[in-house]
Amino acid sequence: MSALRLIAWNEWRLIRRSAVARAALFMLLALSAIAAFTSIAHRDESDALRARFQAQADAEFDGQPARHPHRMVHYGHFVFRPLPALAAFDPGVDAFTGSAIFLEGHRQNSANFGDVRQSSLLARFGQLTPAFVLQVLGPLVLVFIGFGTIARERESGTLRFLKAQGIAARTLLAGKALAIGGIAALLLLPALLSLGWLVLAEQAPLSGALLLAACYTAYLAFWVAAVVAASAIARDARSALMALLGLWALTTILMPRIAPDIALAATPLQTRLETDIAIHEDLRRIGDSHNPDDRHFAAFKAATLARYGVTSVEDLPVNYRGLLAMEGERITAQLFGEYAADQSSRQRRQGALATGFGLLSPAIALRSASMALAGTDLDGHQRFLDQAEVYRYAIVQGLNRLQAEAVTYADDGSRNKDPEAARRVRIDPRHWHDVPDFTYRAAPLAERVQAAAPGMALLLFWLIAGVFTLRFAARRIAEAL
Amino acid sequence: MSLLRQELRLFLRQRIALPALLLMLVLSAASVAVGLAEIARQHDVIARIQPKQAQDEGTVAAWAGKEGDAGNAAYYTFHATWDTPSPMAFVALGQRDVAPFVLRVRALALEGQIHENETYNAELALPGRFDWAFVLTYLAPLLLIALLHDLFSSEREAGRAVLLAVMARSQRSLWLRRIALRAGLLLLALLVPFVVGAAVSGTPGSQAALVGAIAAAYLLLWTLVCLAVSRWRQSSLANAASLASAWLAITLVLPGLALLAINSAIPVQQGIELTLAQREAVHAGWDKPKAATMQAFLRDHPEWKDKAAFAGGFHWKWYYAFQHLGDRAVDSKVAAYRAGLEARDAWTRRTGWILPSVGLQVAIHRLAQTDLAAQIAYQDRIRAFHAALRRFYYPYIFSETPFREADFAKAPRWRG
Repeated sequence: MSALRLIAWNEWRLIRRSAVARAALFMLLALSAIAAFTSIAHRDESDALRARFQAQADAEFDGQPARHPHRMVHYGHFVFRPLPALAAFDPGVDAFTGSAIFLEGHRQNSANFGDVRQSSLLARFGQLTPAFVLQVLGPLVLVFIGFGTIARERESGTLRFLKAQGIAARTLLAGKALAIGGIAALLLLPALLSLGWLVLAEQAPLSGALLLAACYTAYLAFWVAAVVAASAIARDARSALMALLGLWALTTILMPRIAPDIALAATPLQTRLETDIAIHEDLRRIGDSHNPDDRHFAAFKAATLARYGVTSVEDLPVNYRGLLAMEGERITAQLFGEYAADQSSRQRRQGALATGFGLLSPAIALRSASMALAGTDLDGHQRFLDQAEVYRYAIVQGLNRLQAEAVTYADDGSRNKDPEAARRVRIDPRHWHDVPDFTYRAAPLAERVQAAAPGMALLLFWLIAGVFTLRFAARRIAEAL
Repeated sequence: MSLLRQELRLFLRQRIALPALLLMLVLSAASVAVGLAEIARQHDVIARIQPKQAQDEGTVAAWAGKEGDAGNAAYYTFHATWDTPSPMAFVALGQRDVAPFVLRVRALALEGQIHENETYNAELALPGRFDWAFVLTYLAPLLLIALLHDLFSSEREAGRAVLLAVMARSQRSLWLRRIALRAGLLLLALLVPFVVGAAVSGTPGSQAALVGAIAAAYLLLWTLVCLAVSRWRQSSLANAASLASAWLAITLVLPGLALLAINSAIPVQQGIELTLAQREAVHAGWDKPKAATMQAFLRDHPEWKDKAAFAGGFHWKWYYAFQHLGDRAVDSKVAAYRAGLEARDAWTRRTGWILPSVGLQVAIHRLAQTDLAAQIAYQDRIRAFHAALRRFYYPYIFSETPFREADFAKAPRWRG
């Protein structure tokens, strides 16, 4: 044990003396701090802005004057996706997915105004967030600091000296790994502090933060193992550096970009325009309310009349136009649901395939787990879209019901000719207050962990692979000595 | 010539030379293939929507043409627009994966339609696309560093530096030959797939030459960085570490900091503000006195002042008037939003003068017409098209001319 500690201690001393290592460490810690502060500020600001817009939209909805309920169906509502606290650590896809949706009758609009479309192409260089710093830059700093840890000893001949002192190869590697691991812990520190802040000050879930910390620890632990093993196996320090830089470029820069292309080619998506046309076509096929002889709506009329035991729509105790609107909305919403489910299942398949490339790249595995735990993955956005659609359907049908119950059929029919009827169809604005406000329900932790499970499993795989590589390196060193 | 052949032989004998060159060739070829496939897909989508769109218009024409109500025709007919990728787009896919390149609009208020998003998988868009511009910006310098970091130091470390200095007729031309050979071969490996891709996609020769020149300049710049670092006379190892840190700073860290600075210096939130405001303006139209609405509309369109009168509670004239006024009400917000986006873009271009990686991306995306400016230009064309649609429908609506099935074919068509 003391030999191990001595080796680690000695390595730290060397690192402390090296100007390059000090500069690299300082740079990364500074970047981590900048990333943490700006990311938290940006999260708070965006979330506050969205909350403000949401409050404004709610107030505007409630403040509408007396109107025909169908006017309110078209006036619609805006909902905004709040940002989870952990988005300050890993904003995930937030910049890509719009945060505002306009909800109205008969139409399903997209979520708009994502940051990426509002930014220059700089946004595609990668955003400087605590997650990005650890995922991309962290391993590189470990490579710079650690590539020579054993190779240099071999080049200068001190390795044989250690052997003469009776230090086992395993102890040597463990000591070196402990030293580089200490550096990794230092790199993690700003991220852990920012996670701690998010838990204490911004009510981020503690277990989510702990799991995130565990994932990033496992990721950096893999890189520590890789760096030490490469330094032990490579012919010289330069080969170790080249091999590690190559591994980093391949797994952290190249693979994450190639994987999406393969996933996109495997499962293509329809454009919004095509989905839109397809839904219109399906609607006409199911029931065309413009067509007086349409079979679906004729049957609907007959069934309605039979239910109320009357022979004409004028005799109904409710406004038939309202009922018609409800039936129409029911059909469209069902189609929206089907098409959205299809798109989302395709995206899920794409995502699963892309995450599968985590077998070739620990960075992909970590990114997937990290976004899922932070609640900023595509699932989180899909959840918002689903809840927005449920809300849309509820308010539209509520308003259609008002049309059926609070507006008479006679008034509704003559509202454009008779000013008195036009006045009567404008119902009391207190009804708008009765519409509940939208509240987004974030995924419970269990669901997020489930979404993060593939990424976490892959990280575990990489961690084990790292340990095995270290053991292999120890055997090689033992033979060479 | 024989000297050069000799150098080539020496160079290729190095352990790292051939793998690096081959890797460059493979990466460049793969990125060109991916880019071409993506652009072909985008062309396919644009071609694919035409019959669907025609059929959709046909069904609207069938029932709305029977009634002959121009208001219905304008309300229910969606008009397709699309943004055909430029021949160069395969080089830099840019924002085309996150912004729609096909969009339908109606003659209703435009601001509620033009900001619609495309459905795309955000998780896949997040890491950025694997295109040739990416290979050039990020990977080519790394491979160049691998080839050049030990140019002088390896000779020094092998103890041949002095010998070389004595034997060479001209030291200067010796090193120039070596540098030109290494950087030149790498550039060749990078450019050959690009030239093939440019030929396949029908890129004009002058544009392709410009991109080639930009790529050469970028690699030249990195060559100079490598030479500058080697002047410190460090070991090969220290050179490699210094150059890799320079690469990290120039391609990842500094652009990230620049994005942070630009986006926080120029906040852009008018997008949401303008859609919220536009909705208020449009829907307030239902409650405002109709005469006031028509008056305001006629200030914009005096040509309809003799035909603006109507009777009854609802008329399409009034409906389309307040739709238009809803757009007009947010004119200043639209301008502010656009100014914000353009300011962000302008500052990015300025950053490009300092940061070669950013400058390169800016230049190539501009040539490929896949940047923010191209996205704004597409929106401008949609605005012009929308104005043409309104001009097309207004005579029917205001003169109360029946809109028959044959009239649908007369509507303005998008020219891609």
